[in-house]
Amino acid sequence: MLVVAAAVIGCTLSSALATEIKVIANPNIKADTISANELKGLFLEEKISLADGTHIEPVFKKTGPVHEKFLQEYIGKSADDLRTYYRALVFSGRASMPKELGSDAEVVAYVSKTRGAIGYVSAEAGAEGVKTLAVIGSGRNAPRTLVTRIEPKYPETLQKLNIGGIVRLQVTISPKGNVENVELLGGNPILAEAAIAAVRQWIYAPAPARTTAEISIPFDANR
Amino acid sequence: MRRQMLKLAVFCACWCAGSVSLAQEFKFLNREIQVHGFASQAFVKTDENNWLTMDTSDGSAAFTDFGVNLSTHLTDKMFAGAQLYDRNLGQLGQYHPSLDWAVVDYRFRNWFGVRGGKVKTILGLYNATQDQDFLRTFALLPQSMYPTDLRDATIAHVGGDIYGTISLKHNLGDFSYTVYAGHRSDSLYSGYPYLLSQFGTLFSRFGGLQYGGDLRWSTPLKGLLIGASRLDQDTSGKGTSLIPGVFPGIRIPYSEYSKADWTNQFYGEFARGRFLIDAEYRRYYRDQIVFSGAGADLDDVRGWYVSGTYRVSKRIRLGSYYSHYGIANAVGGLLATLGLPNMSDTGLPANHLYDKVVSARIDLNRYWNVKVEGHFMNGYADSTYPDGFYPQVNPRGFKTDTNALVVRTSIYF
Repeated sequence: MLVVAAAVIGCTLSSALATEIKVIANPNIKADTISANELKGLFLEEKISLADGTHIEPVFKKTGPVHEKFLQEYIGKSADDLRTYYRALVFSGRASMPKELGSDAEVVAYVSKTRGAIGYVSAEAGAEGVKTLAVIGSGRNAPRTLVTRIEPKYPETLQKLNIGGIVRLQVTISPKGNVENVELLGGNPILAEAAIAAVRQWIYAPAPARTTAEISIPFDANR
Repeated sequence: MRRQMLKLAVFCACWCAGSVSLAQEFKFLNREIQVHGFASQAFVKTDENNWLTMDTSDGSAAFTDFGVNLSTHLTDKMFAGAQLYDRNLGQLGQYHPSLDWAVVDYRFRNWFGVRGGKVKTILGLYNATQDQDFLRTFALLPQSMYPTDLRDATIAHVGGDIYGTISLKHNLGDFSYTVYAGHRSDSLYSGYPYLLSQFGTLFSRFGGLQYGGDLRWSTPLKGLLIGASRLDQDTSGKGTSLIPGVFPGIRIPYSEYSKADWTNQFYGEFARGRFLIDAEYRRYYRDQIVFSGAGADLDDVRGWYVSGTYRVSKRIRLGSYYSHYGIANAVGGLLATLGLPNMSDTGLPANHLYDKVVSARIDLNRYWNVKVEGHFMNGYADSTYPDGFYPQVNPRGFKTDTNALVVRTSIYF
């Protein structure tokens, strides 16, 4: 029984850690990025607006791995601690309980129709009627210094045919600095193969946490 | 009977809240109104002195409180709400319901907001939320800092606050500030009027001007918060009193007022993972002219505590704290004539209260918890300003040490 419980807990925890999330916002919000500090301040009602004065309504999920991941990564509280935090505000007359919704679809629907709303959903969730905000300054997306760069080998056939272009990749970088995962975002698939092979050998400076980065690799047949 | 029905209604409302979300809401005039409430019941047993005006040496359940609030957002930036609160604590409270807070709050910017009405006072980590034990691991907050018998002295002011959060550059964290001014009005069923009733003094009112501020820094070190609070008061009280030996049996007008009344409080909190560590220090200085100018009473109170809690699992938390309270006082005029001594040696049991506490909290579900807590106290701080031990309920005098068992359960929604 204990083994089963431990397995369930382990699965839930690893599920939260493995879950990719994105921060979404109502289109009336002009900003495309938000700092991690600002995001935390807004979701803890320490702040009510962005730096440009746009009033923000934070929208939480009720439960689930997306919710837990968001709290862990950006708020620094467990779900129980967050509940306690808001109850302290409610019972001392400083705030109301925030909006809580169940599914990703509900969050997207609410954020799309509510001015100033910001929420979070799984990375694969549909984003109709909302925009995605890039969170900067968190451990996840802090810029990393590239220590060792290996240039990709230009595929001979494509170079002879004067076929070039830009390959866009999303890389996941471990705390030690090695590239753990590479995801193709766009570009010629043959060029991408060469780019991915090279990027997998890149080495970054160490950091406290795993980070992601979007990089573009240009292929110019004339060079 | 009516109080019992009210308590039962709140308990039932909380119980029925079982599977609902954080916010219980209804619509009124096209606005979403949130409703929240709580109720708490404790049992206290001491081995020696009677504590907190209860008959704890025989075991007492005269420790009940409950509250309910409504709130809504009138606009994106404007919040309004109110909370009713009632309590009984031994000889205190006596089920006289009060308006706990009632505010209208407008947040212009992140760095500037105003709130007015009856506002909970920000003083240290827990003053504004000291009544809501369900927010914490402990059944009782450290009494050196948050004496439950004296909550009225600091809990709220009728007036206004200016507040805000300022983000510092270079990722140095955030400052949150509050500045306030207002009027404090103590319940006549609170600790200080009860203490003075032993001399035959009966207050008809006690309170006064209260103003101060708080500044806290969410530091760049994850989980570390430090801050400082200052509270100044200009209090006065009116009533009648007996003066034994001078006008025996005759009740004469009584008044007192403060020449100086201030509190400095410094605090720090570190929260990381399952651990929470708090520490606070308070100095309370009170220089009163009493008995309509015939007497003087100066109290210099210093208290501090260090606490730690650990979340063992989703439902179980353990905690412990050491609370240190010392009071030095000097009397003059009529009080000296009546034989009240100056007591400056805080090493004496009558001048201090040291409390070692261990606590366990079990969350039965998201809305109901039970706590079991042991207090191991040395001293009884029997002075001209109270801290939990009162002569009226200890007619045979005080013993130096008191051990107490507190069992407390709370429901909330």
